[in-house]
Amino acid sequence: MAYEPPVTDYDEIVENCTCAFCGCNCDDLDYLVKDGHVVGVRHACRLGASKIMEDMDQRLLVPMIRDENGDLVEVDWEAALDKAAELIAGAVRPIFYGWSETSIETMKHGIRLGELVGAVLDNQATICHGPSLQAVQNVGYPVMTLGEVKNRADMCIYTGSNPMNSHPRHMSRYSTFPRGWFRQRGRFDRTVVTMDPKYSDTAKMSDIWVGFDQNGDYGFYNAIRAVLKGKELQQDVISGIAKEDIVELAEAMKNTQFGALFFGLGLTHTISKQRNIDMAIQMVTDLNKYTKWVLMPMRGHFNVNGFNIFMAYEMGFPYGVDFARGYPRYMNGETNTIDLLTRKECDVFMVIAADPGAHYPGGAVKHLAEIPVIQVDIHWGPSTEIADVVLPGSFIGVEAGGTSYRMDGVPIYMKKAIDKPETCRDDEWIMRELLERVQKIKEKEAVASK
Amino acid sequence: MKTITLTLKKKSPISLEFDELIPDKIYNWEKADFENYDVPVGNTRFPLTDYFDIEVEGAAEGPEEVKMILDGDMGRVKYIGCEMSAGEIVVNGDADLHCGAQMKGGKITVNGDAESYAGREMEGGELEIMGSTREFCGCSYIGEWRGMSDGKITIHGNAGKQLGECLSGGEIYVKGNCDILAGIHMTKGFIQIDGDVTRWPGGQMKNGNILINGKLGVLLEGLVFDQIVKDPEIEGKNFSGKYIKYTGDIALNGKGGLYLNAEKNRDLL
Repeated sequence: MAYEPPVTDYDEIVENCTCAFCGCNCDDLDYLVKDGHVVGVRHACRLGASKIMEDMDQRLLVPMIRDENGDLVEVDWEAALDKAAELIAGAVRPIFYGWSETSIETMKHGIRLGELVGAVLDNQATICHGPSLQAVQNVGYPVMTLGEVKNRADMCIYTGSNPMNSHPRHMSRYSTFPRGWFRQRGRFDRTVVTMDPKYSDTAKMSDIWVGFDQNGDYGFYNAIRAVLKGKELQQDVISGIAKEDIVELAEAMKNTQFGALFFGLGLTHTISKQRNIDMAIQMVTDLNKYTKWVLMPMRGHFNVNGFNIFMAYEMGFPYGVDFARGYPRYMNGETNTIDLLTRKECDVFMVIAADPGAHYPGGAVKHLAEIPVIQVDIHWGPSTEIADVVLPGSFIGVEAGGTSYRMDGVPIYMKKAIDKPETCRDDEWIMRELLERVQKIKEKEAVASK
Repeated sequence: MKTITLTLKKKSPISLEFDELIPDKIYNWEKADFENYDVPVGNTRFPLTDYFDIEVEGAAEGPEEVKMILDGDMGRVKYIGCEMSAGEIVVNGDADLHCGAQMKGGKITVNGDAESYAGREMEGGELEIMGSTREFCGCSYIGEWRGMSDGKITIHGNAGKQLGECLSGGEIYVKGNCDILAGIHMTKGFIQIDGDVTRWPGGQMKNGNILINGKLGVLLEGLVFDQIVKDPEIEGKNFSGKYIKYTGDIALNGKGGLYLNAEKNRDLL
């Protein structure tokens, strides 16, 4: 890695900004601003800093509509919003997907729009921590805040997660390295365990690495629970781990003062999906008979948890909420975006601050290419290539203020630091405009039908 | 006796919802009522006649005198027989999600495959699937700990993942193979599988019985070997042959029974 000299050429420092990258929502960043652009970021990890500093890279600046030749042509805001509203009002099975990289204030208008037209509202949980939410609904949620982990935890387990690559400041700011009230020596007072079939970067700096078989999670946690209940294990090797090692690990987990388990997509997306989390939660419940244990999902986007909390608060269901019959419904495999797309049911798709073109399975993207797609985003990506209407938004936490929820459910207000490009609009404004325009169309339809 | 025949003439790309077309609600409907009926499709309703040719024969005093015949591929017709309490529905083709969900009585026969959630939260009646079904057959609603509580589901083909999840009564009989985690979280009831099972039947089970006549891939540590039983009698049914009996799941202090055919599972002895 080449040496990069510190940035000294800047006009002002904007302090205490919140990072808009991963679920850690680090709120101690300082932006170095010059000529209305962020030229340097202090305290952030490389992922967060590069996202904030390169906000103008492949930036969507003007509204666009795809013409008959299949090319995106620049139009004014009025035309783009009218076109989008017309598509939404005429849809039979619309999906509004995304929301995880925008503010709660934007969702507020989105939910009203969804209810008005009978849409499915879904967020990235449908392809990441959805199984965690299902398991939580089944067996509960022994959750904590990250501050508790910092001050108390003497054992941290990362399972199916690689924070060194995906949440770089998680270990340094919240869990492993920081000195806490009861953990004055930081890293030296804590045992770090990584459970992952892969010898990941996190496993390299852990004290214990448990490399169980792929898809072996359910059997492995079941065996730990059996040991906690006092059973002598029958099989010599369970999910690729020797039974002596499982007994030793279970003993170590029992003999901590405060244990925290963090799990990632490695746990949610193996063969037994939500049952892995179900089992992990029940294992934590069992461990609480001996000592204090808590667990938390390692959420990906900075506001993916926000949508789930907001939706659960407003509608009773965390994601994949279907308003088609006028009241909220939620059923996995039926009201989730991927299922609706692979079954080719959806007829209008609006994506807000997400990139399904890059993340969805082939079958789903194929259907997206065949139906009208409305994109509200700040960057040009694979989704723009399949979009029919493009509405350029603004960057929450840098160009616009807004509320987001950290992975432990702590709400954080992300403040505005610089002005957005003149031709862009706030996500909140775009959603409100769409809502008002669709309302007008629906009112006209109601009058016409009478 | 009233026979209502719906013959598919156009398959909708967006699923139709049939929760209002159950014998309990339509036993006194005439042909004109069906022709005036708008079926829910996505966020709107369209005339039923757009999708089906309708024939009504005879008359019925109550739902138990109704026989509904759905001809054609019902792969985009959800909630067939949902919450029905009497009568009979025959599907001559595949059925979509939630076929026989929450049904309380009567009979549904699917002469084809059924999608996921067949017989979800069933409280009675009989559901027979001549083909295969997919995930969550006879399961609970997400977060609910009581799934199917009574009635019988027979699957002549294969079953998908998490068959009889949270089963709290009734009987499920699979003649083919079954995927992972059959009978997970079950508290009562009986599951019989004649084919092979990939792995982990009876995970987190508290009570009830699972009997597997085929080969089991991976067994959970939470199930503890109990004894070898000959010609067991389970839930009033007699089975011939030797079976290995496990109890569990020990992690929940469960007292459920898992019976494996000893002949096919010699490696576990």
